Amino acid sequence: MPKTGAVISKFFKEYNTKTPKKLKIVDAYLLYILLTGVVQFAYCLLVGTFPFNSFLSGFISCVSCFILAVCLRLQVNPENKNQFYGISPERGFADFIFAHVVLHLVVMNFIG
Amino acid sequence: MNFIIYLIFSILSVVNASGNTLVLLDNQVIRETHSIFFKLLQDAGYQLTFKIADDSTLHLSKYGEYLYDNLIIFAPSVEEFGGSLNVDAITQFIDEGGNVFVAGSSATGDILRELASECGFEVDEEGAFVIDHLNYDVSDNGQHTKIVVPSEFLIDAPIIVGERKAIAPLLYRGTGILADPENPLVLPILTADSTAYSYIPEQQIKEYPHAVGKNTVLIAGLQARNNARIVFSGSLDFFSDDYFTSSVQKGEQGDKVPVSGNQKVALSIADWVFKQRGQLRVRSVKHHKQGEKVPPQAYTIMDQIVYSIEVDILESGEWKPFNTNDIQLEFVRIDPFIRTTLTRKVPGKYEAIFKIPDVYGVYQLNVDYDRVGYTRLYSSTQVSVRPLQHTQYERFIPSAYPYYISAFSMMFGVFLFSFVFLHYKDEPTTKTKGD
Repeated sequence: MPKTGAVISKFFKEYNTKTPKKLKIVDAYLLYILLTGVVQFAYCLLVGTFPFNSFLSGFISCVSCFILAVCLRLQVNPENKNQFYGISPERGFADFIFAHVVLHLVVMNFIG
Repeated sequence: MNFIIYLIFSILSVVNASGNTLVLLDNQVIRETHSIFFKLLQDAGYQLTFKIADDSTLHLSKYGEYLYDNLIIFAPSVEEFGGSLNVDAITQFIDEGGNVFVAGSSATGDILRELASECGFEVDEEGAFVIDHLNYDVSDNGQHTKIVVPSEFLIDAPIIVGERKAIAPLLYRGTGILADPENPLVLPILTADSTAYSYIPEQQIKEYPHAVGKNTVLIAGLQARNNARIVFSGSLDFFSDDYFTSSVQKGEQGDKVPVSGNQKVALSIADWVFKQRGQLRVRSVKHHKQGEKVPPQAYTIMDQIVYSIEVDILESGEWKPFNTNDIQLEFVRIDPFIRTTLTRKVPGKYEAIFKIPDVYGVYQLNVDYDRVGYTRLYSSTQVSVRPLQHTQYERFIPSAYPYYISAFSMMFGVFLFSFVFLHYKDEPTTKTKGD
């Protein structure tokens, strides 16, 4: 048990010191999306699936935002630089925004 | 003058009402011994043409058109038909909608056996009689082959044999028929009692008889898929004047019935086989949305749909409304989604109102009415069912507000995140922020 605690505390320490602030912002954003998704799912379990298309679009918009944000985080992480060779963080961000525009158009169309 | 017009009309009506019927006989004597039966048919309006079965001028068709609607073969012992007639020609005649009425006997020839097996029956071997040691007529010659069959052994279908209860016991002397139990189109019109069997009376019974008990079919019928009708009787005597008029007494002690029921049943069966009975047709099919008059190009899911069908039956040469209460409608898209009994509104007109299920696609409105004795009634109408239009969905549902809020919060989140992400500068790193 103390080992697990040690691992966790080490993890936080490393995270606090080594992770760039920029990535921390992305992580905070991810946490916010995750919480929204969880709340929606819980609400759906409570109320039932009646406006199923609304539930689907609301929930899927959360899931997709999460995925897009994770993609962005991968691309702007300096440690992954050689994997995304030739893709600058600006380019990654532009892709991110473009994907969001498409996603929200679809979500609005489907939410009813 | 009036008389001549009347004559012309009466001749025309006779020609319309009936079919031309070719009667094939073994010899001219049968015409005399079965005169009542033929007289009844002629009175009912059938045009009978008598020919000897091996007449070399026999033709069913001429220049590709059939000369006759119906064929009666009262020639059990014929070995070869004359002219162009053979089993193939008769099966083709049936395939093209002709009706055939065959009476065999214990001496049924090979050609009739072949014809019978084409139609799903099997005639017992030559010389075999249906024997019943408990239900024989008092006038029997001692071999118990002239059997008495109570009317309850007739098929339970008033449209073929008439009301069973009102029919006196029947006299029968002839061979047994085996009907193919796998064939759903074959109808055992008359079967023997459980004490009957089919065997050669003079011989000692060495092997198990081919037909025993109620499996012994005496008169078998078949309504083909094209609604052509065939009746095969194992007894020619069944239709004879002698059997029509004779009294029936079962054994020595049984009750004496003055006249057998043969005549009544024979005429009913003849009317059935020549399609004067039990012929149905669909007059019209209509469907529309409830509250409208004409069918839409496509129905929408969950619509109330009204379906109505008019059904006629041919009765004494005229189409009249057909009344029953068991016609069903199926709403089919590969599988039936809805199966409902149609209700009769006015005589002969049936209606169903139902709600289209919440599934879109191409559907069929099917009525498939298949009852013993009636021709098969099948009507299929194709309709398409589309989903709700984009503007037809319910909007701003209160219980969906959390989802709306979350979707908008996601948008707002991206907006906010973009600002923060773009304007934040990491101290150690040099990148971020487009120029």
